[in-house]
Amino acid sequence: MSGIVGYGTYIPKYRLKLSEIAQVWGKEASEIETGLRIVEKAVPGFDEDSVTMGIEASKKAINMAGIDSSFLQAVYFGSESHPYAVKPSSTTLGEYLGVGNNYFAADLEFACKAATAGMQVTAGLLNSKAIEYGLVVGSDTAQGKPHDALEYTAASAACAYILGNKDPEMIAKILDMSSFSSDTPDFWRRDGVKYPSHFGRFTGEPAYFTHVLSEGKNLLAKSKLKPQDFSYCVFHMPNGKFPRIAAKKLGFTPEQLAPSLIVDKIGNPYSASSLLGLASVLDIAKPNQKIFFVSYGSGAGSDGFIFETTKEILQRRKKTIPVLKQMEDKIYISYSTYLRQTHAI
Amino acid sequence: MKISILGVAATKFGELWSVSPRVLAKEAMNNALKQSGLKAGDIDALFVGNMLSEILGNQANLGSLLVEELGVQIPAFRIEGACASGGLALHNAINSIKSGQYKTVLVLGIEKMTDHSQDEITNALMAAGSDEERMAGATFPGVYALMAQAYMKQYKVSEEELASVSVKNHYHGTLNPKAQFQFSISVADVMKSAKIADPLKLLDCSPISDGAAAVVITGENIIKKVRKPIQIVASEVGTDTLSLCDRKSFTSLLAVIDASTKAYKKAGLRPSDIDVAEIHDCFSISEAIATEDLGFSKKGEGAKDIAKGKRTLFKGDIICNPSGGLKACGHPVGATGIKQIVEITEQLRGVAGKRQVENARIGLTHNVGGSGAVAAIHILRI
Amino acid sequence: MVTSPVKLWRRQKNTATLIGKKGKILQWTIIRVPAKSFIDQAPYPVVIVKMQNGENMIGQLVDWQQKDLIIGREVVSVLRRLRTEQEEDVIYYNIKFRPL
Repeated sequence: MSGIVGYGTYIPKYRLKLSEIAQVWGKEASEIETGLRIVEKAVPGFDEDSVTMGIEASKKAINMAGIDSSFLQAVYFGSESHPYAVKPSSTTLGEYLGVGNNYFAADLEFACKAATAGMQVTAGLLNSKAIEYGLVVGSDTAQGKPHDALEYTAASAACAYILGNKDPEMIAKILDMSSFSSDTPDFWRRDGVKYPSHFGRFTGEPAYFTHVLSEGKNLLAKSKLKPQDFSYCVFHMPNGKFPRIAAKKLGFTPEQLAPSLIVDKIGNPYSASSLLGLASVLDIAKPNQKIFFVSYGSGAGSDGFIFETTKEILQRRKKTIPVLKQMEDKIYISYSTYLRQTHAI
Repeated sequence: MKISILGVAATKFGELWSVSPRVLAKEAMNNALKQSGLKAGDIDALFVGNMLSEILGNQANLGSLLVEELGVQIPAFRIEGACASGGLALHNAINSIKSGQYKTVLVLGIEKMTDHSQDEITNALMAAGSDEERMAGATFPGVYALMAQAYMKQYKVSEEELASVSVKNHYHGTLNPKAQFQFSISVADVMKSAKIADPLKLLDCSPISDGAAAVVITGENIIKKVRKPIQIVASEVGTDTLSLCDRKSFTSLLAVIDASTKAYKKAGLRPSDIDVAEIHDCFSISEAIATEDLGFSKKGEGAKDIAKGKRTLFKGDIICNPSGGLKACGHPVGATGIKQIVEITEQLRGVAGKRQVENARIGLTHNVGGSGAVAAIHILRI
Repeated sequence: MVTSPVKLWRRQKNTATLIGKKGKILQWTIIRVPAKSFIDQAPYPVVIVKMQNGENMIGQLVDWQQKDLIIGREVVSVLRRLRTEQEEDVIYYNIKFRPL
């Protein structure tokens, strides 16, 4: 059995209002905001990248887990905006966190579910007792092409989870996990190209919904649990609408979903999205509550987890800045400053 | 053994687009030789002060290169200490004479900067600082701006009072036909100029310049040949940490205090004995602090005294930067230290023309490298 | 400007120990005319910080507003990208400071 022993999140300070973007391209702001159910998104500072944000989140996770970083025996870094095309970010993280040299490490790419895939790998290593602690990080400085629909949602953030296999240390146990994978080209980015491409409405039904709902149904069947058995549910959030529809279709209530909806406040930080949603729930969950979790990565696949909180969460959670509080620590910037900070000009 | 100055010469300072480094060197060296009544063959060694030749021009081995312009193959050395390269070259030349190795030595300070872009130069000048400072994105003006912030706060000095340094030096520059800038500016002009690194503005900062200066010195007894020889009675060097943030003070250069204390002692003089001084005003704040470190003004009153006119030609007591200083005369980095010697020599000889300090008998040059990591102080008297 | 991967690698262990340390601003300035490698970041503040261990450090201030530029302002050290690299250069990370 493995579970979460610590988590940390980092959201950059800067926010760009969707209305700012709409104004530049002559679109109706309220129409876009209603359609996406997002009002503003988190934007990285000029000198931030997925690694610097990942380090911030990881340090908080290490603090919560209460272990020395040298105890980490695995580092998996999931992103679609790794600083290098070839050169691991996981080891850059390992180096700056002081992990030492004796650890499993790899960079993962699977669009927005790269980090949750990393979680499954780490859980496997823990369950087989190959390691005692592993760090999983989902971090992205996602970019959308100017004047493209994705520009309104592509955001930046990082989320780090430390998993362990010692019962008394877990704040949330992994009761079950599974995955649903296929080759569905809904959203992609070619090597050497700055911005991703997507195929509009094809990203909905055949992509996001097929995988999230299939994985959701499979996991429920496998675990023999019903939606009512859960206190919370978390889904990947490409926009404000999709997770709400997915939750409803799987039989969850808006109340079960609500605490996870970070997308409403900061947009879609890709590999950090579903994990940030999970962190918001862990910030407020009581002991012995079940959390239903399904991520989604374009291309495509969904990773499902069933978590159950323990009473250890009450103690360890004191050592964190809640996601809600971080989302409120913000400075608004203009569209031109956003272009500067994201190196578009 | 007394060190005497036989001849001095400086080229015009400024943006000398059509003049190459070799031509600059030749002009300065030949004119200094001519004034000394010597030929190249009478020189035992050449010392060169220069900072940026490798960084900007990819040219090292300057000793051998520049000795070619003399036309004789004598020992030649290049000394570097950032903006104090000139002063340090002179110090080493003096030591070489005192050691008995050489009798008569030519010292050249030279810098060619305007072949390169502003940001290349800003980058290059940061070689004078530390790695930490470079990686923090600090620039030379930035480091001095940090000093200015500390100084202004501690001693309640205004930006206008600091600006009076540039105003004074520009006024002096109008009287120096070799100066890069020969026009006056007002405090209002300085205040209006663009900010470079808060609070330092464009007119608080010395310019990018080309130029060369040379001096011939000898250890030989020349009183029979020259009626009133100018002697270098002290040549001292002090050092401090490379990084500003590692220093004990942000409002004083301990390297200058150290070198000048030794120099005054060696010469048997006090600060009040100095009639005229050439100060290293890379920025207005530098001169304010220097006049305090050198003992001309009380701590915290340097800028205020300059604003009151105490260091101005025809008005003050210890006149600073009659040449126009680095601000108005120009600052070809490696040449400045030697140009300062040229100016003081001309002042003591009474041949400084419109900018002559009356009855100048004892002069001092203050040459600083980086943000104060090294300082070379020379005292000259007739 | 430093571009050597060897120098980056040699500095890493020390840089790692400097992340997340608190200090107070001793002096500040705003660089408006930067050196070549920093052109796209200007204007930006450079601060001298008195760290909790008594040492002084100099660094860029990030995520700043004008009201943060006061002597005594509490800051924390963070790891950020040093500057915008040339296409083929290795990526340099460096300690910078952020207002707390």
